[in-house]
Amino acid sequence: MSMTENSMSAEYKEAITSLLFQLADDDFLYAFRGSEWLGLAPHIEEDVASSSISQDSMGHAAMFYQLLEDLGAGKADDLAHLRSAQDRSNSILIERVNGEGYYMETPNYDWAYQVVRSYFYTQAKRVKMDSLCESSYRPIAEVAIKVKMELYYHKLHWETWFKQLMSSTDVAKKKMNDAITLVMNDFGDVFSFGNLKQKIESNNLLDSEEEMKKRWLASIGPVFDALQMEVPAIPNHPVMNGRNGEHTKDLDEALLTLSEVYKLDPVAVW
Amino acid sequence: MEGVSKMTGEKTFYQEYEVFSKRTPSSTFQHQFSLLAPNEDMALILAQENFMRREPVADIWIVNRKNVRKMDAEEKMTLGRLDNKEYRTTKGYGYLKKKWRQYEQQVLDEKEILSWGGERK
Amino acid sequence: MTSLCNSEEEKLAHFMHRIETGDKIEADDWMPEEYRLTLIKLISMHGISEIMGALPEKEWVPKAPSLSRKLGIMAKVQDEMGHGQLLLRVTEDLLKPYGKNRGDLMQDLFNGDLKFHNVFHMKTTTWADAGIIGWLVDGAAIITQTNMLGASYGPYGRALQRICAEEVFHAQHGESIIMALAEGTNNQKAMIQESINYWWESLLMFFGPASKETTGSSKQDLTIKYKIRTKTNEEFRQIFFDKYIPRILSLGLTIPDSTIKFDADSKIWTYKQPDWNEFKKIIKNEGPRSQERLNLRRTSYENNAWVRDALSAVVN
Ligand SMILES: [Fe+2]
Ligand SMILES: [Fe+2]
Repeated sequence: MSMTENSMSAEYKEAITSLLFQLADDDFLYAFRGSEWLGLAPHIEEDVASSSISQDSMGHAAMFYQLLEDLGAGKADDLAHLRSAQDRSNSILIERVNGEGYYMETPNYDWAYQVVRSYFYTQAKRVKMDSLCESSYRPIAEVAIKVKMELYYHKLHWETWFKQLMSSTDVAKKKMNDAITLVMNDFGDVFSFGNLKQKIESNNLLDSEEEMKKRWLASIGPVFDALQMEVPAIPNHPVMNGRNGEHTKDLDEALLTLSEVYKLDPVAVW
Repeated sequence: MEGVSKMTGEKTFYQEYEVFSKRTPSSTFQHQFSLLAPNEDMALILAQENFMRREPVADIWIVNRKNVRKMDAEEKMTLGRLDNKEYRTTKGYGYLKKKWRQYEQQVLDEKEILSWGGERK
Repeated sequence: MTSLCNSEEEKLAHFMHRIETGDKIEADDWMPEEYRLTLIKLISMHGISEIMGALPEKEWVPKAPSLSRKLGIMAKVQDEMGHGQLLLRVTEDLLKPYGKNRGDLMQDLFNGDLKFHNVFHMKTTTWADAGIIGWLVDGAAIITQTNMLGASYGPYGRALQRICAEEVFHAQHGESIIMALAEGTNNQKAMIQESINYWWESLLMFFGPASKETTGSSKQDLTIKYKIRTKTNEEFRQIFFDKYIPRILSLGLTIPDSTIKFDADSKIWTYKQPDWNEFKKIIKNEGPRSQERLNLRRTSYENNAWVRDALSAVVN
């Protein structure tokens, strides 16, 4: 089944719009959290390399916001900068701070959390992009094919970090295991489609939540086996579901920062 | 252990890796720069984004600097040679062009010979 | 030239001959201690200034006012970290005979032995500061860096080749931010003017004092002697005026120095000297944001010590 904009039913449009907001907001916030790390990574070479991943992800967010703009949802920059927390659909996992402290003052960021969140998120994103390549909505399938190309590097990068830190000192293993616990606590809405689950799935926009969870577990399985670790379980019922606009104060604070200049004058050219 | 500071005695994970890359499948490897990394795998995931963010890359090699055999100043003296080796180049056979003209033929020069790989004219 | 030289004087004469004939010195070559120390001082400061210089601009990375500005400034600040990487690698190789490594350079920074450029001690207040840094601070840096592209020390010259290629993007990134503000609302225009007023003195100071009489020390003589650079601090400052004053004025902005003027005969700009005592204070880490930036760098370095420690245990 293939859809073009003029043949689109109201329900179809609602489903695709909701899905696009989830994808765009995830990548936008993920890139934002990455940009807070810029200049503060454990090692200069790594700082340079991981900034490219943040840039790629911001680029992906921009493509998804553009698809929303094309659907008449509003200007891409407005969608990224002006929407309030309850209108955002990113996962709770992605909005979480990098650690205590404001990035300009004394940020006590946790590199273990950065590695685990990034690795698990990248694997989840790969599963989604793979599935989206077959989407009934052609424009999103075309974007997914492009995004996938850059995910090979993101995956290799974060998987290397994950494996190496998990096979190093006791201090590192402890920090990594703590980070896995934190990340998995928030993993319940990563594969959720929120209230529009039924509409998104029945319109063949991508595979079902359950199917993608299975693929995600399979994607990290070999790495966990090699490390002789149990594959972590994805929580069944998220305490909060970001897909439905439920968010923590971390998101409010992030939005204040990322829109500070834009909101000085949203109609001005910056 | 590599990279123990004589000043502070602090252990660091740094090893030096030389990075080589090629732009296209048919081009030769070129040296880019060096970076610090704890091991080869890590060096590999750092190489492209550190040195080739804005150019196409078809392949990357990582070499631990301790495996590079370098020349010292004295050894570099062995690189000098006289400029009298025309016999190795076409320069020593420049007279042939004129000669062949007497036989109404053309000399097989570089341009001619390298064109033989293409279609028969 | 081709004889192997053994005595120190012969080595030195051979070395100076190489420099004077345009040969490039490499990391493992013999070099006089004074040359090595001059390079270490210059390049370690240059490198650490890139790393510290990433911080003031980084303040605006998460705040950048559009998707494309967020992307542009991320890439720009990433480049600055990358410049730090290149230059610290060059320094680390020069430091080998002293048994020092990158960790030691960071400690030198934290205990105040290793200084960073005055401009990166200043505070940023608005988005226009991100634009002015890209446009004018990078502009000033481009003038000094391009002058050293032919430096007698090969590894420095090669690092600068890479850096200067990226500076072309930095210059245009800065121009683009400034252009948008200059053509924007009255508030946006006021923002840039305020920013220029704030940065002007720092920009003049960036090139260093005209002579060592001004501040009691200057390394410019040695760098010229060893063909690391060819122009003096004052010549750099004059080039900066040549290039940027007409551009600033063309956008309807003003220079916060009513005395500045160009003498067409001598081709010299006369201008109000910045407060060189203030300069001395700033580079002693007593500038408006010196301690905050050092604190940020130190916090991130120490917080991540466990990562460097962990990876030293991974062999493959
Ligand atoms: Fe730079
Ligand atoms: Fe720059």
